[in-house]
Amino acid sequence: MIEFCEISKVFNTDLLKKNFQALSNVSFSIPEGKIIGFLGANGAGKTTSIKIAMDFIRPTSGDILYDKSLGGSKKEAFKYIGYLPERPFFYSHLTGRDFCKYLSQLSNVSNQLFKERVNKWAPIFKIEHALDRYIKNYSKGMLQRIGFLATIIHDPKLIILDEPLSGLDPIGRKELKDVIVELNKEGKTIFFSSHIISDVEEICDSVIFLKNGEIVFNGSVDQVISANIKPVTNISYFKENQVKTIKVDNNNKSNQIKRIIEDGGDIISVQADRPTLEQIFYNVK
Amino acid sequence: MTEAIYKIFTIAKYTFKELVKSKVLLNVIFLGLGLLLVTFVAYSFTYGEPSKIALDFGLGTLSLSSVAIAIFIGVGILYKEIESRTVYMIISRPVPRFSFIIGKILGLIGILVINILILATITLSLYFSIGGEFQSLILWAVGFIILESVLVLLVVSVLSLISTQTISVILTVISYICGHAISGIKLTSTYKLNSSFQVLIDLYHFILPGFYKLNLKDFVLYEQKVEYSYLFASMTYGLLYSGFLIMLAIIIFDKKNLD
Repeated sequence: MIEFCEISKVFNTDLLKKNFQALSNVSFSIPEGKIIGFLGANGAGKTTSIKIAMDFIRPTSGDILYDKSLGGSKKEAFKYIGYLPERPFFYSHLTGRDFCKYLSQLSNVSNQLFKERVNKWAPIFKIEHALDRYIKNYSKGMLQRIGFLATIIHDPKLIILDEPLSGLDPIGRKELKDVIVELNKEGKTIFFSSHIISDVEEICDSVIFLKNGEIVFNGSVDQVISANIKPVTNISYFKENQVKTIKVDNNNKSNQIKRIIEDGGDIISVQADRPTLEQIFYNVK
Repeated sequence: MTEAIYKIFTIAKYTFKELVKSKVLLNVIFLGLGLLLVTFVAYSFTYGEPSKIALDFGLGTLSLSSVAIAIFIGVGILYKEIESRTVYMIISRPVPRFSFIIGKILGLIGILVINILILATITLSLYFSIGGEFQSLILWAVGFIILESVLVLLVVSVLSLISTQTISVILTVISYICGHAISGIKLTSTYKLNSSFQVLIDLYHFILPGFYKLNLKDFVLYEQKVEYSYLFASMTYGLLYSGFLIMLAIIIFDKKNLD
């Protein structure tokens, strides 16, 4: 849907300081219908990449291409994109409903459709009780929810979320993750940045790792995990009133199991040593 | 085009709504009371023609209060919009940047005009209640105060796009003072005898806003006749300069990296 072509971005923050290279030749594409996680440590260049995709800032070099599903041009694309920024600040003297209505009017959503969509999504985001309160009285979680509602009020095809789960409690995170999956089932493409890797692993089809402004991995979650599986098996067994776990080489697995049984141990489980995305990410770092 | 206009008015409407709800109009009540008090005190201590003094003080303080309100609302709104990143939610929609900036400015002008009209009503009510006579030039003077405040609002808004809030306020106040003083400077012998100073002042006059052209207070007070051609020329100047500042704001905002 969106293709980053050799995007570089250099910031010149101070005349006396050296230029800061935020992105170096970053190229990747966002395929339709997937949930894509955009991973990287703080300062890796995730937000800068998203800001370039949204035309808030311009790249030093390179191009962003919007395909036909997004109208084929930058001007058209924003009709089909929903964007939620990191650390959402909204108009504090408007109510949540006013704010959503404001954004829906800018996206040419009719009053009827606006009402239908608010009636559908506000209970799912658990924000319907606060829709008529001023945003200045919202908590961080409520801001995230109203922001999410406003992001999807025009029924976008592509939803870009910048750290949507940061700062939320575990229940809030779980609820928003469920909504992301639900939206994806309805055919929306979701692209979201995060540094909480377990969240990405849980719901994403593919991931893009960014490190110091460069792509270090771009592929499916299964692909990255299977590429990092070591030929090691974890064997858990019960012996002398204790549960013990040992790691053995795959070639030696059968012999080791036989030996445990001969020594009077009861095998509990035999599992391939599958690394989590988080472990892989730390190794990449 | 119709869609762009619709979006401009949507942005203007919600900017206006946000400002009304933020209770910025409450300030006007205090300013209005202050205005009444100052005018009343000046009137009470005057012998001769107290209504003229009331009008003099009234229009003077109305003009200054209007400029203060223009600076107050103009300096914050665009700056905060970018700093607190509320702008992201708006321009991530199919909204061209020029629509955003024009919509914001129109919303601000709307709230500014209402503020000034409330204050003008208070001032003129006092003037008429103590026997002041109606002259059509009073209405022109109020109209020009509105135009002057819109210019100040636009100057401070443009500056806030390229600078900090404090510097924007300082530069706007300087340009306001110089813009009024420039007509007086041109009458001095320093200006007439010093050619390099003349070039400097003429250049300033050509580029920066000549606020003195929108000052009708002396004409009103001394009941001088003003040709309609002068009034229309000054009004055209104010409107064209406002258009120029809006264009400048559009160009700056269009090129601006919103990071």
